[in-house]
Amino acid sequence: MKKLKLIIEGMHCASCASNIEKSLRKVNGVREVSVSLMLKKGIVEIEDFVKEDELKKAVAKAGYKVARIE
Amino acid sequence: MKHEHNEIESMNGHHHDEPVEDAEIKSWKKKLVLSWIFTIPIALMMLSERLLNFSFIEMPYQSILILALAFPVVFIFGWDTIRAGIRGLFTFYFNMDSLISLGTVIAYITGLVAFIGLVDDYSGVAAMIMSFYITGKFVEATARGKASQEIRKLLELGAKNARIIKGNREYEIPISEVKIGDILLIKPGEKIPTDGIVVKGESSIDESMVTGESLPVEKLKGSSVIGATINQDGVLYVKALKVGKDTFLAHIIELVEEAQGTKIPIQKLADKITSIFVPAILILTILTFTGWMIFLGEISRSLGVAIAVLVIACPCALGLATPTALMVSSGMGARRGILIRKGEAIQTMKEVKSIVFDKTGTITKGKPEVTNIKSMNGKENELINLAANLEKLSEHPIAKAIVDKAALKKYKKVTSFKVLRGRGVEGKIGKDSVVIGNQTLMNERKINLDKIIKFVENFEEEGKTTMIVSVNKKVIGVVAVADAVKEDSKEAIEKLNKQGYRTIMITGDNERTAKAIAKQVGINEVIANVLPENKAKKVEELQKEGMVAFIGDGINDAPALKQSNVGIAMGTGTDIAIEAGDIVLAKGSLIGVVQAINLSKATFKKIKQNLFWAFAYNVIAIPLAIGGFLHPVIAEIAMALSSITVVSNANLLRKKKID
Repeated sequence: MKKLKLIIEGMHCASCASNIEKSLRKVNGVREVSVSLMLKKGIVEIEDFVKEDELKKAVAKAGYKVARIE
Repeated sequence: MKHEHNEIESMNGHHHDEPVEDAEIKSWKKKLVLSWIFTIPIALMMLSERLLNFSFIEMPYQSILILALAFPVVFIFGWDTIRAGIRGLFTFYFNMDSLISLGTVIAYITGLVAFIGLVDDYSGVAAMIMSFYITGKFVEATARGKASQEIRKLLELGAKNARIIKGNREYEIPISEVKIGDILLIKPGEKIPTDGIVVKGESSIDESMVTGESLPVEKLKGSSVIGATINQDGVLYVKALKVGKDTFLAHIIELVEEAQGTKIPIQKLADKITSIFVPAILILTILTFTGWMIFLGEISRSLGVAIAVLVIACPCALGLATPTALMVSSGMGARRGILIRKGEAIQTMKEVKSIVFDKTGTITKGKPEVTNIKSMNGKENELINLAANLEKLSEHPIAKAIVDKAALKKYKKVTSFKVLRGRGVEGKIGKDSVVIGNQTLMNERKINLDKIIKFVENFEEEGKTTMIVSVNKKVIGVVAVADAVKEDSKEAIEKLNKQGYRTIMITGDNERTAKAIAKQVGINEVIANVLPENKAKKVEELQKEGMVAFIGDGINDAPALKQSNVGIAMGTGTDIAIEAGDIVLAKGSLIGVVQAINLSKATFKKIKQNLFWAFAYNVIAIPLAIGGFLHPVIAEIAMALSSITVVSNANLLRKKKID
């Protein structure tokens, strides 16, 4: 289990945040997700096997971009 | 937009958070100006035609001009919105953009179809909707930026560079290259680069930005300093002890960011509605259009109504209600050294009936000092020295007070030493078996207290803790230790009493000492003689009578903090207990408790107001639009205003007095 912080670009409304959460939750191995519109950040708790690329793809699928991962 | 992001990122390097909010505001502003340049002529032409029945240019040409002017507004300046919206329709990740883009694109298409005369020309309306939408987004982003200004300041607070001493030379290096053990030089007026300990020099430091403590704090050799605080008047040499993610500031930022992500129960309904909102509106729009077509049969009117429904619906106000209020609130708290870790605490706080305080380190300073020594044979020095030999081996604060008082240079050898948790210590010096502890321990060992009991009771009446010293089952004296009450404990507890809370003090001390301290600070109820591990159980018992807030330090009191409905952990110096406590106070003052309670209540009230407005807006506005009472442009203006209202209302929280 580890925690990652995603810095997300392109969010500008509340349904954006919930779309990203929905999409990230579908990734296998993602335990907890919370995306903050105010901070333009998402915090995800994931199993160790989850690849960063999968998270990026999930965010992209909802129509947004991960600027970086911390 | 993407381009701007990259520019800012490369300017600041990758270690700092770029001001995302500013980039967003800038990009909306640019779109705003451009779209209105094209929309104002459209609006003039449409108004003069409708109100004065006067056309600037002859008819089909004016329509062509409007179509030409509206095109860039909808498809160039509004492109980000259109693209995201259309994409959302295909991927089923609907958002606000889906509604606006459908509304504007359909309206624009009517302008093309109008040439064959089937419908009225709504293309001008499309441009106006997009322009108002962009304007609304600009104002909203600005207000959101304001809501997060304190937090952003906090994120940008850290020092960028450090001056490191190597050999006899100074080097300036980026903060990320500072390692533990490096000696840093800090001149007056400069920021302390990272957490550390003063090895040379004296100065006072302004720590208000991270602890909320308004007075400068004196620092000399051996004092610990916090990164991002400001050195005021002296030159300091500091050895770096913590860097990067382990610093106090990094911890605070982590707390604040995590809190932003936590959900407040009251928001759940709003979140649920937000997530099904857009598809629901799409269905509603189709039904509205069909309904109007069936009953009125006029395609132009039906389309106008449908467009109004699309653009009036606003999930944003609902979605923004809680996060914006929480954001403003975290900022207000952070400035005062109050860190709300779990948003849920904000909602729970208003149900709290009793507030339970741990005594040592919470109400009192937690630094006990020996105040009296009573020896049965009059040899006070002998007594304290004997006690110090044993207490040297214990880590309890009272033990430390006794050791400090005796200040022995050499210690005798102690055998079979034992700490009796919550009661005292015992061990052997030579052949003598020594027991030092409270009355409970003496009774356990069947040691007669008749001769000493009067002194013990007198000290306890004064709020002092007593340690009875016995050798070979015979009492030889008593040491009294007092832990001074913090300066503002009394003021804080009086305020809480006045607000109608039941205030309770919990302690491992005996009843008499505890009551004396409680009286000093104005607490009416005392739960004494509680072993540390039983505090959580006592809290559980109190919970039967209503919700309980527990105030204590994050280390020893962690179970009680967890058990309580709202756990408020008191920070001690640079250690903020991240794990325990729903709210963490960076400054160890009880006034912080009063502020935290007031802040939580004010925030929750604001959230309720916001949710009410957001719900009420949609519940009233959508039916009006369905009924055909609102022109699409008016609908769009109302939509923009609704989210602006919510964000601005959250910003009003700042006006609340919480001190």
